[in-house]
Formats: sequence, C-alpha cells, structure tokens
Amino acid sequence: MEKTTITASAIISFIEKLEDGSSAFYEEMAERFAENRETFLAFAKESKKNKTLVVRTYQETITDALEACFSFEGLDLGRHAIETTLAKETGYTEALEMAIGLEEKANEFYLDITERSQSLLATIPRAFKRVTKKRNGRRLKLQSLLDVAIDSP
Amino acid sequence: MTILEEPIKETLHLRNYIDGEWLESEGELRSVINPATGKAIARVPISTEDEINAAVEAAQEAFPEWRSTPPLARVRCLFRLKELLEENFEELSRIQTMEHGKTIDESRGETRRGIENVEVAAGIPSLMMGGFLEDIALGIDEYLIRQPLGVFGIITPFNFPFMIGLWFAPYAVATGNCVVLKPSSEDPLCQTKIVELAEEAGIPPGVWNLVHGGRTVVSGMLDHPDIKGICFVGSTPVARDVIYKRCGETGKRVIAQAGAKNFALVMPDADLEATMAACMTSFYGNAGQRCLANANLVVVGEGLSEREHEAFYKKVVDMFVTVASRITVGYGLDETVQMGPLRDRAKKEMVIGYINKGIEEGAKLTLDGRDVKLVGGWPDACFVGPTVFEEVTLDMTIAQEEIFGPVACMMKAKSLDEGIEMIHANPFGNAASIFTGNGKWAREFQYRVECGNIGINIGIAAPMAFFPFSGMKDSFFGTLHGQGQEAIRFFTESKVVVQRWF
Repeated sequence: MEKTTITASAIISFIEKLEDGSSAFYEEMAERFAENRETFLAFAKESKKNKTLVVRTYQETITDALEACFSFEGLDLGRHAIETTLAKETGYTEALEMAIGLEEKANEFYLDITERSQSLLATIPRAFKRVTKKRNGRRLKLQSLLDVAIDSP
Repeated sequence: MTILEEPIKETLHLRNYIDGEWLESEGELRSVINPATGKAIARVPISTEDEINAAVEAAQEAFPEWRSTPPLARVRCLFRLKELLEENFEELSRIQTMEHGKTIDESRGETRRGIENVEVAAGIPSLMMGGFLEDIALGIDEYLIRQPLGVFGIITPFNFPFMIGLWFAPYAVATGNCVVLKPSSEDPLCQTKIVELAEEAGIPPGVWNLVHGGRTVVSGMLDHPDIKGICFVGSTPVARDVIYKRCGETGKRVIAQAGAKNFALVMPDADLEATMAACMTSFYGNAGQRCLANANLVVVGEGLSEREHEAFYKKVVDMFVTVASRITVGYGLDETVQMGPLRDRAKKEMVIGYINKGIEEGAKLTLDGRDVKLVGGWPDACFVGPTVFEEVTLDMTIAQEEIFGPVACMMKAKSLDEGIEMIHANPFGNAASIFTGNGKWAREFQYRVECGNIGINIGIAAPMAFFPFSGMKDSFFGTLHGQGQEAIRFFTESKVVVQRWF
C-alpha cells in the first residue's frame, strides 16, 4: 500500500475528529447512564477544550518559516482509528469498558505524535502532552467507576 | 486523498473599496486562476487613472479627522480587526491556498504572521510616544512628538497575498495615516477580504482604501502629489528603477523590498538531520517563491582535508536529495501535500528555462523537478517538483540569478572565509544562513555577512512582526524597513518643540 504523507494539517484534522467524537460519546453516556452523569458531561466538555487547546496552539504557533514540508514520518493513522459510537444496546459496564479502551487508544495516539513532533516548535508537542495527561487522568477515573460497577451487587 | 473544503465556490467579482464604498471599476477584468486546479475563482479589475486618483483624494480627505482621532480609539479598530481575522483564520488561509497555490500549512503560517503585525501595531499608544525633557535650559523644556504624514501607497506582491499588506497598513493606520493599497492582480482575494473585515472592524471610510490593478495604478500612486510615501515589495528592477527612482524624484518616502539570491552555509559540525529539515522548508517552502528562500547550498570544508571535504559534500548532497525526493507535490488543500504549484504557467516556464540553462552551462541535474509526480489528478500546468543541481559554480546563471522556484544549487567552499566571499560576490543581500554548532563561526558569520536577515541554524530567517524586515544591497531600497518600530518611524515625522512660558 502506498505510504501517505501525514502533514501537521492532517494531524490537526484527525485530532478535531477524535475530540469531537469523544465529546459526542460522553454526551451519549451522560444521556443514558444517570449515575455518573456529571462525570461524563465533564469529560465531554473537556474534549471540547482539548480540541480548542490543540487547534489554538497550532494556529498561534504555526509559522510558514518553520514548518513547511514537515511530515509525521512513519505515523500510521489507520492504527490509531478509534470507535466513538455507542451502540443502543450497550450496557453500563460494557460502555465503561469501551470508554477505557477509547482513552487507552487516544493516549497511545497522543504519545506517538508528541514524540514525532519534537522538531516542531516546542509549544505544539507541549500541547499534545497536556492532552495526554488529561486523557490519562480520565482513564484512571473510568477504571475506578468500572471497579465499583463490577463490585456492586 | 483528503481535500479540505474550498471556501470559494463560484467565481467572485471583485470591486474597489474607496471612501467606504465598494465600487465597480471601469477597467477591464482579468481572471484569477487557481494554479493547482486551473479553475477561475475571481475576476479582478485593472483600474483606471481616475479610480486611483479618487482613492487618493478620499484618503486625503479622511486624513484630518483620522489623524485627530485618539490613538487608543484608532487601535481599538485594530483589536477588533485582529479578532475578526482570528474568527476567519481558516477561511482566509484556504483562500490563500486557492489563489496562490501554497499548501494549507503554509497559508496558515502566513495568516499567523500577518495577524502578528496587527497585534504589534495595536501597541501604537505606547510605541508612538515621543519624549520630554525639562529644563534644557532653566525654565525651558524640549519635547519630541511623532506625527502622521497623510496618505501612503502600498503595493504588494503575489507571493504572500495575505501577509505583506499587513507589514505596512496596520502601522500606517494606527499612527494616524490613511492608505491606498494595490494588491497583486494575480491573487488579490485575501487583501479584498482583509478590507471587508477592516470595514467591519469600524475603520472609517477613506482610511483604508483598496484599488485593484496594474501599472496604471502604480504610476498613479508614484505621481500623485498627495501620496507621502510608497511601500513596495517585488522584483529588483522594478524596486530600484521604477519605485525608488520615482520616489526620489518626487520626494516621497520609500520602502522598496526587492529580490534575493540567498546562501546557506553548512559547516562540518552541523547537525545534518536538523539542517536537512530546515533546508527543505527554506529551499522548497512556498515552492521556492520567497525572498527569504535559500537557493545556493554551500558545503564548507573548514578544517577538513580535501578528501574529507569531498566525503562531507557527498554526504550532505545525498541526504538533501533523498529528503527532497520524498516531498509530495499537489493541490495545497490536500492534507497529504507538502509543496504546491508555482503561481502560474508563466512562472513555471521561467523556472524550466533556468533548469535548462543550468544543464546547458554544465551543472549536473541530480533531481529533476520537470518530471514531477503529482498527488491527485490535477493538471500539471503550474507544477515543478523539487530540483537539485550539483557541481554548480558561482559564474553560472543558476547560481547568480533569482529563479523564484524550487531549485537548489549545491556548491563547495574550502573555508568559512571563502563561503562569505561567495555570498558577497552576489549583488543581492536579503538573507543568509549558517548551520553549525560552533559559536565562533556563527558569530563571525553574523558579524561579517552583508545580508539583512541572518539565520543561525534557521533556514528562513523571517523576522517577527516586532522586528524590521531587513534587507541590503540590491534586495532593499530605502532607509527604514517594514514591520515594528521602523515602520512606525517610516509612517511618522519627528517634530521637536522647545517651550518657555513667561
């Protein structure tokens, strides 16, 4: 298969879709599962903020004099594709497991691009790192919710 | 293939903006063509002498009221303009790609650079302050005031359709002057959009005018007695022999930024991986259509034996060619593309002409951009791929003349001294770069090289908005440069007052 060049623009577009998809996913969780509604709504709001952070950082930092012809060599976006649709029949525990999987994959993606963007202006990988940290915190929270759900009668 | 949505869906009909009104021109209309797709995206008028005169008169009439508007009120318009530019950031960037051809990342970078100038100009209340000294003699005080002059003409080039107008207009307007701006008729849409937003931001009628066109408009500006100064960016022959000359004859202030032939020196201790990344941006960014682009790469053998130098040269060139050959070329709205087309077919033919000349004069064509493979099925009317010549000597045409395309010439110098002499042998003095980890070499380079914009481990030494955009020799004509404090000095006169009260 022909290798596709992944430019900074392509990464930002991917992130916009990822965070939009994550936001919609958690809004759906909040809609369906009342017990931790506030937590899921907070995650949805945070995804919107993540998107703003990354896009704003990129738009305020990118300069035609330093990033032209840059590409994320070797990055396979297909490997980082993440499912963010919650099927109708998905139960609470299953949804939590799906959310944890989503966060793990997102984390892996952000770690990957943080590493590969080190030669860009430093504010860009730093923004990616901030999002990685937030989503990791989310994963831990979801894990604790899942533990409680499994232990409950 | 991911093509971002085009913001221009049908052919736009452009009008002039004079004294707060969008006016149809009497002049003939020309098409603005997207160089990647070949489609017409706008029709631009070539305005008449009457129309440029009308714009200057409107600006002159608006001047007294604008000049007496408090600076804070003036810059509040710029704060609003900045917010509007941010809100329209993506649309403005995609328009640039459609009208010029540069990639979307390059366009976004240009948008950011342009906005930075609006941000700096919004600091005018502090930046325009004069000075006051009491008791220069007992009971007598002296002070300096900076005052605006009137109407300025701004003539912008095709290669940065969004940014370059903003090197000048925000400073002119913030300091209390009025402007008449003529964008390139090859890609005038961004400047038109900026003026729409300036109008929305509340800049009053007559203060920021836009007249599309060509030579007639330029001549009208140069000859009009009410225009106090001209800001121009373009080729050296026009900058020197038309703009600078005529301004001298008519007593107008002038900033005339002109052509370039820039050198990048690679020293034996350079970080080659980082150097190559910087070089790709420098040689091939904007498809080489940039006055800060490096064109000649000199592999310097300072401290090396002849054999070691030869090996180092081969290593650098092999790395350069390998990386350059991987650059993807296509439509700039395609997110997989790293380099777009040249602005139009005529420019492609000119670049091809230089490539043929290089071959004719004996340089070795190692990477042939004439045979470019495009991403996507676009017509290849304006595309030239990354091109590399080896065994180039200083006397060759391709080493001396500005090609303004994606053509890199590989050369050698035995020492840093020889490398600097090579730079000085060229009549241009816009920019030069050195790639090294040695502070002594870098300082020597910075100290001695007669170029206005110096890069140390930087491929494109583009000054930020709060620094002047420098240039020397045949790359600049005038005294003060665009951007930052120098622009403020250019657009104001110093008035000194000595006062005493009885």
